[in-house]
Parts: sequence; structure tokens; C-alpha cells
Amino acid sequence: MAAAPTAVIADDEPLLRAQLRSRLARLWPELAIVREMENGRDIEQVIADHAPGLFFLDIHMPGVNGLEAARVIGKRAHVVFVTAFDQYAVEAFEQGAIDYVLKPFNEERLANTVERLRERVGGAPPAMEELVERLAGRLAPRNGEHLRWIKASVGQSVRMIPVEEILFFQSDEKYTRVVTAEAEMLIRKPIRELLGELDPEKFWQVHRATIVNVEAIASVRRGLKDQAEIALKGHGATLLVSRNFTHLFRQM
Amino acid sequence: MNRYAPLFEGLTLRRVLVVSLLCVFVASVSVWFFINTWLDLLVSALCVGYTSMVLFTAATNLPQRRLPPWVAQVISIILGSFLGTVLAGLVKGRGIATMFSERFFGVLITMGLGIGFGCWAVWIYYTRQREARHAAELARAQAERSQLEKNVLQARLALMQAQVEPHFLFNTLANVQHLVETDPAAASRMLESLIQYLRAALPQMREDATTIGRETDMARAFLDIHRMRMGSRLDYELEVPEALRARPFPPMMLISLVENAIKHGVDPCCECGTVTIRAAEEAGTLRLSVADTGEGISVKKGTGVGLTNIRERLKTLYGPGARLVIEENAPRGVVATIEVPGQAAGPADGPAPDPVARGGPATA
Repeated sequence: MAAAPTAVIADDEPLLRAQLRSRLARLWPELAIVREMENGRDIEQVIADHAPGLFFLDIHMPGVNGLEAARVIGKRAHVVFVTAFDQYAVEAFEQGAIDYVLKPFNEERLANTVERLRERVGGAPPAMEELVERLAGRLAPRNGEHLRWIKASVGQSVRMIPVEEILFFQSDEKYTRVVTAEAEMLIRKPIRELLGELDPEKFWQVHRATIVNVEAIASVRRGLKDQAEIALKGHGATLLVSRNFTHLFRQM
Repeated sequence: MNRYAPLFEGLTLRRVLVVSLLCVFVASVSVWFFINTWLDLLVSALCVGYTSMVLFTAATNLPQRRLPPWVAQVISIILGSFLGTVLAGLVKGRGIATMFSERFFGVLITMGLGIGFGCWAVWIYYTRQREARHAAELARAQAERSQLEKNVLQARLALMQAQVEPHFLFNTLANVQHLVETDPAAASRMLESLIQYLRAALPQMREDATTIGRETDMARAFLDIHRMRMGSRLDYELEVPEALRARPFPPMMLISLVENAIKHGVDPCCECGTVTIRAAEEAGTLRLSVADTGEGISVKKGTGVGLTNIRERLKTLYGPGARLVIEENAPRGVVATIEVPGQAAGPADGPAPDPVARGGPATA
């Protein structure tokens, strides 16, 4: 006879952890809940301490979410995902034959899942990297590649300006001017540094000292000596395009 | 050659044809007054006409700021008439010296005619340009108006589509499900808050016009639910003066800010956080702010559709008199403030406070 199965519950909401614990106690009395977690942060430690056979992972948790936790667990334990609502995730689970539980719990469904798990938990955990990767790509929006906010101090406070609102950046001696339709601020970050961090699809350098938001361009007028001038939407300024950058506006 | 091409922009076949016709007309009229043949007059007219046309085009395109454009253009006509007359003389085989001695009177007449008709042509050109500009302005005003109408529709649509997140609903119900068994009184409180929130948040049950008081009550219900769910991690404070509760306020904006404060501020950071809702009126501006003590905004994280939506709606509802400002909270977290015209100035009128703020530098 194998040892009593052990499980860990990870959910950021204390009441929902308590609920799952009490339901499992009723449906699967011999299952020992060895640990409750608020997120997936200490998975390695928990595995080292308890070597649980089973993880109940809420998908949406702050810090380290359920999918990231599942990636860490790999094939070292069985995983049951717990989710409140996620049409896409549920479809993926069905196709991948992965165990999942929907919140709020349905007694009968939970009982069915427990039945299946009782049989499985002694065996080797299935591979699910592919499914987890697919879900992770779908559920977590890609952040962090480009600058989305500019911080500038205005008086005593630090203003956060979404980059979409910025019409252009222009270097002004030691500082960089940040110009929106309604305000103008100075920041310390130089143009060349901004250039590396802004989305190059949305922000173009048109002059040694100027980066313009492509969305904000109303028209480009060709002047003498290959120098073009940019007129902006909702702002009176005209920006000069230096010769090195006129190629951006050819054939337009 | 290519780099001077912009100087001759506008020198179209059409312009050449118009000038040629004008020259034929001038020659045909002046043949009644002079002894010269029609052909002789036409050659003179064409020489003067084409020279003036080329110089006029260049003067129009010249990127100079010293002279008003019309002065440069009149000078170009005078110069063009002089050079054109000399050119005509050369074409007809006369020497420069003859032109400025025995034929000087003829030269003066040709020049005078060139200047006269040239200025007339310029005047017509200006009138037509002004008409074209007016037509373009009218078209632009129309385009702007239809864009504004489109924005209004889009904002309305976005408001209709903003709805209760299923994730929030099901998680809350799961909590209620558990509390019914373990703490029925708490379950009942949570259900009450949920009902109050749904009454305000479901598009079908929502009213177009709402007040700061109603929006605050809805936010309170939402915060109550989250406080029960998150245990000790969330706390909240309301600082909304009784006098401001009856003020009209656009629906669903406050709740979006509260949702953001929980989702992006308090929730991701695992310690506890406080959300504070404040309303205040000052110098004709009504401010409603939501502050959290959470994680703060990472400069590379998305801004969320919610904030863009609020900005668009404010612009549509109040024009430049309203705005959404996002700032860092001290010592940590974020403050989001919606500013709308207060009682002193009604919506969409009253001078907007000059929003151009030139602050000290900071790191980006």
C-alpha cells in the first residue's frame, strides 16, 4: 500500500483556499494538504520540503502565477489548474486532457476530478510543457520591451505620461523636452537613450535632436535643400527633418 | 538640378497653357493700338509672359522670410517684364544698344503692358487661391466635425461594452459559496455588496447621468468585495465631502480607476495596500482621485485600455476643460486624478485652465 497522497493548494484568496481544503477533506479524506500558498513563488522550497504528489494551482495569482508555477514543477508532481473563468484556458485543458477545476465549485464535477486523480496520482505526471507555453503566451500580454510611460516632475509631483500622448521629444541643452498636446515638460533622459527604449515602429528620429510620434504627424512638407518640415496634429510646432532622415518620408 | 526642383513646384502644363492664352489675348487686343503685326506682338507677349511666369513661380516657392510673399511676387513680375522685353528684342534680332536708345519708348510700353497684365494675372491667382483655401478649410471643418461625432459614438459604444468581468464575478461567487457554509452573515454582506455593484455596473441597468455619490457608493461596494476576498491585504478610505455627492459625473470612470488601483497596484504586491478615493473642488475644478500604495507603474508596462478610454470620453464630454492625470504617489504607488470643470464653469464652456506646465527635470 502506497503512502497517503499529499497535496499543496496555491490561491491568492484565503477563503478560496479554505473552501478547496474543506471540499477535498470531504471528497478525499486520505489526501493530506501539506501546505497552502498565496502564489507560486516558493515552489522549489515546497517541493524540497514536502515532495507533494499533487498541486492545485490557481491560474491568476499575483507574483508567480499558476502557469509559471507549473513550468517550475515540470514532471515532479501532478498539477490541477483552478480557474474562475477563462474560456480559452478551459478549451485548452479539454484538448490537452489536463485536470482543471472551475470556481465556484460544482460538487459533482469536483468529485469526478477527484476520482480521476485518485487513479493517476500514483503514476508518472504527464508532460504539459507545450500546453503551458501556449497558455502563457496567450494569457500574459507581452510587456517590457518598449517604454510605455514617461516620468516627468511637474512642480512637486511626478507625472506619468503614456507615450501615446507624446507628440515629440526634442533635446534642449542638458534636458529633453517632452511635448504633449496640452503640456510641455523636461526630463533628464537624453534623446539617444530614449531612442533605444521607445518602440521604433511608433517613434521616429527625424533630426539629431528630435524624435516624433508617427501618429502625431499631420503632414510633411518638402522644402529646399532636401530638408522637410513636419506639421503636427493638434500642435502648432513645425519640426525640421534633417537630410539624414528624409528617406523616412520618401514615397509617401 | 534636382535640388532646385522645389523652386519650380506649381509650374504645371496648366499654368503654361493659361499664360499662353493670356499672351494670345494681350496680342490680339493690343494689335488695334499699335502699328506692329499681330505675330510681332505675340512674340513679345510670350517672351514677357513666360519669363514672368518662371520668375513668379520661383518667387512663390522661395523660402525667404524677409519680404511678404506678394511683394516678392510683384518684384518678380517687374523683373520678368523687363527681362522678357529684352529677350523679345533679342529674338527679333535687335541689339541691346538700339533697345535702350531709339526703341526705348517701345521697350517701356512692352514692359508696362507686361507689368499691368502680370499684376492682373497675379490678382486672379490670389483670388482663386483664397477660394480654394476657403473650400479646403470648410472641408477640414466638416471632417473634424464628423471625427468628433465618430468619437462620441465610439465612447458610447465603449461604455456599453464595459461590463462586469466574468473572472471577478465567478471568483466573488466562489467566495460567497464558501461563506454560506462557514459564515452566513459575511456571505450575506458580500452578496449585498455584489448586488449594489452589479446594479451600477451592468450596462442594461446603468443610467446615463450619474453623480459622484452614486459612483462612490459603487466603488465602495467593489472595494468591500475585494477587501473580503483579499483578506488583510486591502484597506480603503473614502474622502468624499457630502456637498460634492450630488454633483453630476460621467459613469464608470471612477470604478475603472479603482479597478486599476487594485489590479495593477495592490494585487501584484503581496503586502497590504490602501486605496483612497478623494473628491475636492478648487478654483472651479472638480477633482476625483484614486490613490493606491501599491507597486507603482513600471515604465514599460501597458497603460491598459481603461485609461485611454477615460481620456477619450473626457475629451468628448468636456473638450480641453477636463483631463486625466497619472502621478506617482508618495512614498509609493500611483494617484490617478480626473479633473472636470466645477460648478463655476459648466461642461464644455469656460476657459480651460492653462495646462501647460513646465516643471523641473526628472529622470524618465
